[in-house]
Amino acid sequence: MPAQFFKKLAVVSPLLLLGLAGCATAPEEKVSLLEQVRSRGELRCGISGRLPGFSYLTTEGTYTGLDTDICRAVAAATLGNPDKVDYTQLTAAQRFTALSSGEIDLLSRNTTQTLSRDSGGGNGLTFAPVVFYDGQGVLVRKDSGVTTLEGLEGESFCVGGGTTTERNLNDVMQARGIPFEPVKFETPQEREQAYLDGRCAAITADRSSLNSSRSGFEAPDEHVILDEGLSKEPLAPATVDGDDQWADAVRWIVYGLMSAEEQGITQDNIDERVASATSGADQENAALRRFLGIEGDLGGKLGLPNDFVVQAVRAVGNYGEIYNRHLGPDTATFIPRGLNAIYTEGGLHYAPPFN
Amino acid sequence: MSPEPLASGRPPGQRRRLLLILLQVAIGLLVLGVVALLVSNLQVNLVRRGLELSFDWLGRPARFPLPRGLLSYRTDDSYAWAFVVGFVNSLQVVVMGLVLATVLGVIGGAASFSKNWLLRQLANLYVAVARNVPPLLHLLFWYVVVFLGMPAARNGVETLAGWLRLPISVEFMALLIGLTVYTGAYISEVVRGGINSVPRGQWEAARSLGFGEGRTLRLIILPQALRAILPGLNSQYINLAKNSTLAIAVGYSDIFSIANTTFTQTGRSIEAFALLVAGFLAVDLLISGAMNVLNRLVLRHG
Amino acid sequence: MAESPRSSPRSRQLLLRIRRGLFASPLDTLITVVLAVVCGGGLWNLFHWAFLQADWAVVLSNVRLYFNGNFPVSQIWRSWSWLGLLGALCILTLMPSRLLPPVVVRLLPLLWVLILPIGLLLLASGLGLEPVKSRFWGGLQLSLLLTLGTILMSLPLGILMALARRSSLPLLRWLTTGYIELMRGMPLIAVLFFGQLMIPLFLPEGWTLNRVLRAVLSLGFFMAAYMAEDVRGGLQSIPKTQLEAARSLGLSPLLTVALVELPQALRTALPALANQCVASMQNTSLLAYLGLIELLGISRSILANPDYLGRHLEVYIWLALLYWAVCILMTSLARRLERTLKVNGHH
Repeated sequence: MPAQFFKKLAVVSPLLLLGLAGCATAPEEKVSLLEQVRSRGELRCGISGRLPGFSYLTTEGTYTGLDTDICRAVAAATLGNPDKVDYTQLTAAQRFTALSSGEIDLLSRNTTQTLSRDSGGGNGLTFAPVVFYDGQGVLVRKDSGVTTLEGLEGESFCVGGGTTTERNLNDVMQARGIPFEPVKFETPQEREQAYLDGRCAAITADRSSLNSSRSGFEAPDEHVILDEGLSKEPLAPATVDGDDQWADAVRWIVYGLMSAEEQGITQDNIDERVASATSGADQENAALRRFLGIEGDLGGKLGLPNDFVVQAVRAVGNYGEIYNRHLGPDTATFIPRGLNAIYTEGGLHYAPPFN
Repeated sequence: MSPEPLASGRPPGQRRRLLLILLQVAIGLLVLGVVALLVSNLQVNLVRRGLELSFDWLGRPARFPLPRGLLSYRTDDSYAWAFVVGFVNSLQVVVMGLVLATVLGVIGGAASFSKNWLLRQLANLYVAVARNVPPLLHLLFWYVVVFLGMPAARNGVETLAGWLRLPISVEFMALLIGLTVYTGAYISEVVRGGINSVPRGQWEAARSLGFGEGRTLRLIILPQALRAILPGLNSQYINLAKNSTLAIAVGYSDIFSIANTTFTQTGRSIEAFALLVAGFLAVDLLISGAMNVLNRLVLRHG
Repeated sequence: MAESPRSSPRSRQLLLRIRRGLFASPLDTLITVVLAVVCGGGLWNLFHWAFLQADWAVVLSNVRLYFNGNFPVSQIWRSWSWLGLLGALCILTLMPSRLLPPVVVRLLPLLWVLILPIGLLLLASGLGLEPVKSRFWGGLQLSLLLTLGTILMSLPLGILMALARRSSLPLLRWLTTGYIELMRGMPLIAVLFFGQLMIPLFLPEGWTLNRVLRAVLSLGFFMAAYMAEDVRGGLQSIPKTQLEAARSLGLSPLLTVALVELPQALRTALPALANQCVASMQNTSLLAYLGLIELLGISRSILANPDYLGRHLEVYIWLALLYWAVCILMTSLARRLERTLKVNGHH
């Protein structure tokens, strides 16, 4: 082969490599993601994008759901604008890599908090407060008469592949000595379709997702979720390990949404409440004034604007409003609040004091 | 590989030879340098994640359930065994797919030479449609629409499984039929090209000897066309093997699906990927080896 | 079949043709009848379903999503105009060249190369437009971008590798042969998996590569191995005498490759290369399983909308039609190119 040609090639190929390297974004210095988000003017949020009630694409081409509202709340609190969110769809396999490689700032993709995901020796995540208490359940046809797992001996289970649900099912069934046949699916839609078409006697998934599946069925009443649960699934947003400032900010933004519900502060009355706390009836209510950022320096301590809770609630409402918007009785994906009520109403959501 | 004709023609001078050696050294160093850079980045990243390269985890229990397959598997079996099960599952669908796609492809290719207008048009339509739709959509169609949507099809599979005494699932059938239909269209084209390569005179000669259409094809044309068909078949077979990894779309536990699950559970992407690559190279070698033997047989007897 | 004695010779001929084409022998008649019944039944069911049972709202209400993805609505004209430009270019290319001014005909290849940069400029930013992140690219538009990007990357890379594989430097030959054979033995989904999940592991800490770019890189490196083999096939078909002639004319080796070998090799390899381009288009659909919202991916997000739960068949038929149309269009473009080259080759 002509030598000249390869001389040129030898000159050109390093240039090509350099060019490729140039396409990569230069490394950002080790500043907190909070700073990076603010200087970028945009929050990069990893979501599922294919999960009714939590994140899906509307006809208008925008993402909506409980998971995406958490992203919007964080964007509103840090940047003052809930629309400055850059969503990335992630598969179950991709989500942790995306976070640790810095492709996203916040993972809000119905991720179960577990020890190995939290620890440095595992996936190295830092979890924000749980935004949805879930648990793995089993959905069966009412007319099958099945009421316990033992009733499903030797039957097929439709289950999502590569998730904790697959493992939990196996652990429980093995412990109780019940043989079964797993049928794996990548997406909830296919799982549902397979179950409806009789491919499996049962679906197992998080109760939330079973519930929203069931409400999408033509005859929801013909299916029941068994009382026994297979696992605890606390779903929480997550950030990368080792960035405490950012993790703290996200944590307290989420607590802010819960605390707002506890105090009856809603999207509709937030401006009223701010006015009343600034120069009205609540002028003497120091706790409220601190919460709303009129007094003290709570936001500043986190590196956030002092009125970050106001911004978040004004944008997406309090936790209860978010819940009702996507999973409430008026939606096609209704899930009774149960454990997800605020603690004063018998649920588990409990925000520490804003002091 | 034969040496480059240009270089061999000219008596190479000392300088030129030295230059060529230097050039190779430069290329070698460049490649080594890039590889070293990547590996060092990898090491840094893995240490940061606490996932230093190791295959120790292969011996640990996999704990994820798998549907019944040819090999028996219990959830306390090791990850290594899960990989073996996935590999055998892949082989099962590939081997059966090869046979069925070849049958379909030969029928399709031969049908496009039929004197029957309807049959000819249908054969052409099949090739035109099947080739231009992504294989993934083929699979989704067969799985979601046919096997999940029609209880009759599902019952048929169960009957078939009982009859053959094989662990055949609906997922397996969807993958098998999807791959067969997609690859069959490509094989039809290969067969058609092969038949076209046989001189027209052979058809006429056979007809004048009183052979019917079907017999001419079977006894005279196809054996001659085989020589032209085999190399094309080889690459279609390898394509089918590679497309069998689309099993994740229909939930069949092939080797890729096992590697994927292993990765999500252990975070061991490099190791799982290496096992996947090794598995695939083995499948490719098996297919190419078998085809080589076949090719030699045809050349000797044909 | 009763033939009317008064039928005109023309209709008689037609009847004869039908008879010969469909009912030549009893076996033929049987095949025809069976096929007709099966096809008729299939078509009837299909129409019955399509017009009476199917609910096409899942397609009709989301047309914009299928074509433009969730591109910002205020900027959507950019997306449509790129798709429009692409369509116009296809029409121009497919038109008989005598209807076009010669300048346009000569500019066509250049326009095809430029359509990707133009698309990036229009869709991403540049020209003083508001920047749009690549995450807003989706649907058919993203599929086409990925396809074009893959082709533009893998074709030159494939040519280089085909040349390197026949080089007189053993090291270079081994390296490229190894690469090509390894890549051709790998399933695409594994390569894409590597690209989406493992490339970040090989980058220095803190560096990131945009995931659309990662997808193009993995698709491009994958397709390049196939393109290289096709180009090599073309190179092998060139008679040795041509090279000797070139040398005797005093052409330098580089010029021989560039002016004598490559043009002929590419012309010979064109049908095979065209098939690879169509395959690249189909291959983009795999990215749906790696979180990209190209045509198939966005369809799966739409199917997650509670309003359209379970409308799979409608969506899959619509997607099959779209993919089919694009692939057919690509094939006819390639045929057209082949014809043009053939005509030029005879000059």
